[in-house]
Amino acid sequence: MRFLRDESKFAQGKIAFLQYLSVGVFLLILGGYWNLQIRNEEIYSLKAERNRIKALPIPAPRGKILDRDKRVIVDNHSSFSVLLSRETLKEEHLKPIAEGLDLDYDELLAKLKRHRARPKYQAIFIKEELTPAEIAFVESHRDPDTYPELELIHTERRVYPESGFGAHLIGYVGEVSESELNLADFAKYQQGDLVGKTGIERQYNDLLAGVDGQRQVLVDNKGNERRTLGMKPAVPGKPVELTIDLDVQTVMELAMDGRRGGAVALDPRNGEVLAMVSRPGFNLSSLSSRERNRQWREIFSNPEKPLLNRAIQAQMAPGSTFKPIVALAALESGEITNDTSFGCGGGLNFFGRYFHCHNKKGHGATTLKKALAQSCDVYFYNVGNKIGIDKIAEYAKIAGFGAKTGIDLPAEAEGTLPSSKWKIRALREKWYGGDTISVAIGQGYLTSTPIQLAHAIGGLAIGGIWHTPHLLKGEPASKPARKADLNLDHVRFVVDGMCEVVNGWGTATNSRVPGVEMCGKTGTAQTVSNEYQKARNIHVKDNAWFVAFAPRVNPEIAVAVLFEEGEHGNLAGTIARDVVKAHFDKKARKDMSQSQPGAATAGLQTPAGGAGN
Amino acid sequence: MDGFLGRYRNLSVLVIVIMAQLVLLAVQVKNNQDVRLIRVWAVTAMTPLARVLEGIRANTFGVAGEYWQLLEVRSENRTMKVDLDRLKLENQYLKEELATAKRVEAMASFVQRNPSKTIGARIIGAGSGMNSKVVFIDRGSTSGVLKGMPVITPDGIVGKVTASYPVGAQVMLITDPTFACGVVSDKSRIHGTVRGQGNNQLLVDYIQNEQQVAVGEVFYTSGDDRIFPKGLPVGPVRVARQGKLFKEIYLAPTAFEKGLEEVLVVLEGVHQQIPDLLPGAGTGPEAKPLAPPPSESVPTPVDATPQQKPDQKLSTDADKLLEKYRSIGEQQGVRYGNPGRVPNFNAPPPVVKPPAPKTETPPAAPVVPPN
Repeated sequence: MRFLRDESKFAQGKIAFLQYLSVGVFLLILGGYWNLQIRNEEIYSLKAERNRIKALPIPAPRGKILDRDKRVIVDNHSSFSVLLSRETLKEEHLKPIAEGLDLDYDELLAKLKRHRARPKYQAIFIKEELTPAEIAFVESHRDPDTYPELELIHTERRVYPESGFGAHLIGYVGEVSESELNLADFAKYQQGDLVGKTGIERQYNDLLAGVDGQRQVLVDNKGNERRTLGMKPAVPGKPVELTIDLDVQTVMELAMDGRRGGAVALDPRNGEVLAMVSRPGFNLSSLSSRERNRQWREIFSNPEKPLLNRAIQAQMAPGSTFKPIVALAALESGEITNDTSFGCGGGLNFFGRYFHCHNKKGHGATTLKKALAQSCDVYFYNVGNKIGIDKIAEYAKIAGFGAKTGIDLPAEAEGTLPSSKWKIRALREKWYGGDTISVAIGQGYLTSTPIQLAHAIGGLAIGGIWHTPHLLKGEPASKPARKADLNLDHVRFVVDGMCEVVNGWGTATNSRVPGVEMCGKTGTAQTVSNEYQKARNIHVKDNAWFVAFAPRVNPEIAVAVLFEEGEHGNLAGTIARDVVKAHFDKKARKDMSQSQPGAATAGLQTPAGGAGN
Repeated sequence: MDGFLGRYRNLSVLVIVIMAQLVLLAVQVKNNQDVRLIRVWAVTAMTPLARVLEGIRANTFGVAGEYWQLLEVRSENRTMKVDLDRLKLENQYLKEELATAKRVEAMASFVQRNPSKTIGARIIGAGSGMNSKVVFIDRGSTSGVLKGMPVITPDGIVGKVTASYPVGAQVMLITDPTFACGVVSDKSRIHGTVRGQGNNQLLVDYIQNEQQVAVGEVFYTSGDDRIFPKGLPVGPVRVARQGKLFKEIYLAPTAFEKGLEEVLVVLEGVHQQIPDLLPGAGTGPEAKPLAPPPSESVPTPVDATPQQKPDQKLSTDADKLLEKYRSIGEQQGVRYGNPGRVPNFNAPPPVVKPPAPKTETPPAAPVVPPN
């Protein structure tokens, strides 16, 4: 009986246990159901949908960049890129993928980390411009059993001119950075999008970029694409036609080869920029990528700063190229006339300090014309001392110094135009008379960029109208032209002096252009004071500057050249000479082809059938 | 009359008989036949009966005999059929054995000649799935067969291992729609990627429309994919035509021409040179060993696959103009931007005289003196 009693107790306990267990399991299932179907229904249904539908981007091809004759400067070409889908990504696949695609594993990991904030369904580009071998690698490994996270897409990639041709002008493209995403210009972009970073690519990014498309495909549980559900085609970017003349640009590129500095040529009559070069350059193709490769790092860490567009960003003392402005200020202020003469004995004392002329023997009795032609420093020391810094600053400001020209390129520098007020404001110091003496010959606190110089002298040469430099053809510049009420006789005196520089007995007779009356002004600017060089026992070569316009009457081209450590301005003059020659030779070809259609005497033909020649 | 006949019955019968005999003798004499009439009558009387009886007998015994014969024939036929089936099976078996022996011989020869380390395996089953082209082989991870290893035959590539189990492995065939590998053509050395189509054709993709590929040209593995060693045949071109973005090139895979029985799994691949012609392509049904690789070929490990850069040099009008101005400078001896000679961009290009053709001077014509 006891046994039977015990057994019944045991059975009852077992039944009770099973009952509780059943209830527990049921509650567990109910909880799971609640979580799946009610609490997080939206999340799970979205996840299921994403597993079913895969969205692949169709990058929009960027617009071409053309010169003024519609010749192609930047083109596109068909290429393939590989994307990494993070939804199906397995960490252990990353290393073999990096090896197969010749990628830096650590860089790949860093890239994934950078894109962590992006939604997972957005695949990320890991390599562009795939070679046939890399395409074969991707295609043979992206099956569901190997690396299903790999996606191959067709893209249109940039074809830039080789060897850094126009690199600073054109600019490069790259992935939008986190700091850029905070800017209003890039508000519509997402991390990973390709945007223009510098130059025209940045300035006209909205025109060039187009709108990316998307392809939605149905995939099975293994990741196999079954069919295309929908496609939103990409809208290609618009072509951008520049004011650049490829003939002039090419000669400027060749003339600046092997030098450090910047040069710019523009049409002073309308502000159209004809050419712009900066050296050292860089290969645009190396930078225009999502990958930060070795070349990318080398360019960014280069102490020569190849990314600096010296034509618009190099802020340096313009040296004697500033003298025409001082001359104009003096003439306009009435402190001197065209016949005013000063004696030059190779130097002069001002405020207790001896200021040398570049000609130690002296120029003797010097008029304005001679002072400009032979770049007599003593003459301008006297002029500067006479008119004072604020008069110089007034006319320099009219000519555009100390402010951005307004060229349609990003990150233009404004240089420094010193004045008595400026010194108090910037340096909290009083202006001294000795400071004016330095500024009068383009030294001291004064700094300028090549484009400011070309813009200033070009505007002066056409009688005091300064058109805003611009690169987009057929569109008005961002700022209207400025006109100064100058005495045209004064302008002519200055122009005469500048013509003597090249065509008379001036400092740049080696820059004469046969058949063209080019006027110019040399500049040899110290970058380090003599005292500093003596103290450190070093010799730093002077910067060579040259600013020119041609022809003398109604000039149609103004050129400014900065040849860093070029030692003497006339060595920059020969660069401007070749640029001006290219411009007028082309004009002659154009005139000939218009007057004699079919004439083929010229040594140059337009390569792509452009209408320019 | 009745009384007379009755009375002389015997005599009457005798007379009648004699008379009848006489008549009969006369008839026989008149007919001049050597057969007695009685026999004629008897025979005439008995023949129809005998014919009927004989017919009955003959028919009866004939049918029975034929029946028995038929039974024997059927039995014999059955025996012969069994023999025939046995012989057929034997024949088939021997043929299979012969083919296997030849395949194995070819494979052994291939293995000896091929620098890659391989292991033989048999196909033991096919996979399921509407489009999937998958087979199973009898070698697995215990034999060193691992996922991702290429599977080949001496005739061409077969596929790659997609799953490895201890004693077997799953192989994705090259005809599977998700299969792809790098290929190169034997004549033009154009690189592309071959992809399965789910049928008995392969598509070679990523070859520009401008590239020249002829029907009959053979594609080999390029080694670009880092799976298949370079130099293994894939198949000859059956169709080559202009496509929308790329050329449409279809290949007939050579590995499946003779069916798939035994395969080789490449354990360690070594690249080889691409032979000029596909050995055995388009020849008879018998498997032939691969031609030896060219003597100048230097096997290289798979890991050392060179990354091919696009041979097409991309340029813009700016590049062309730069070249032109550079050549003008060279022609005029001008170094742009330097003091000295000023360039003349409108000078006519120097006249380049074509080199004088090197023709042999014809023998001088004989001088004919004027008359």
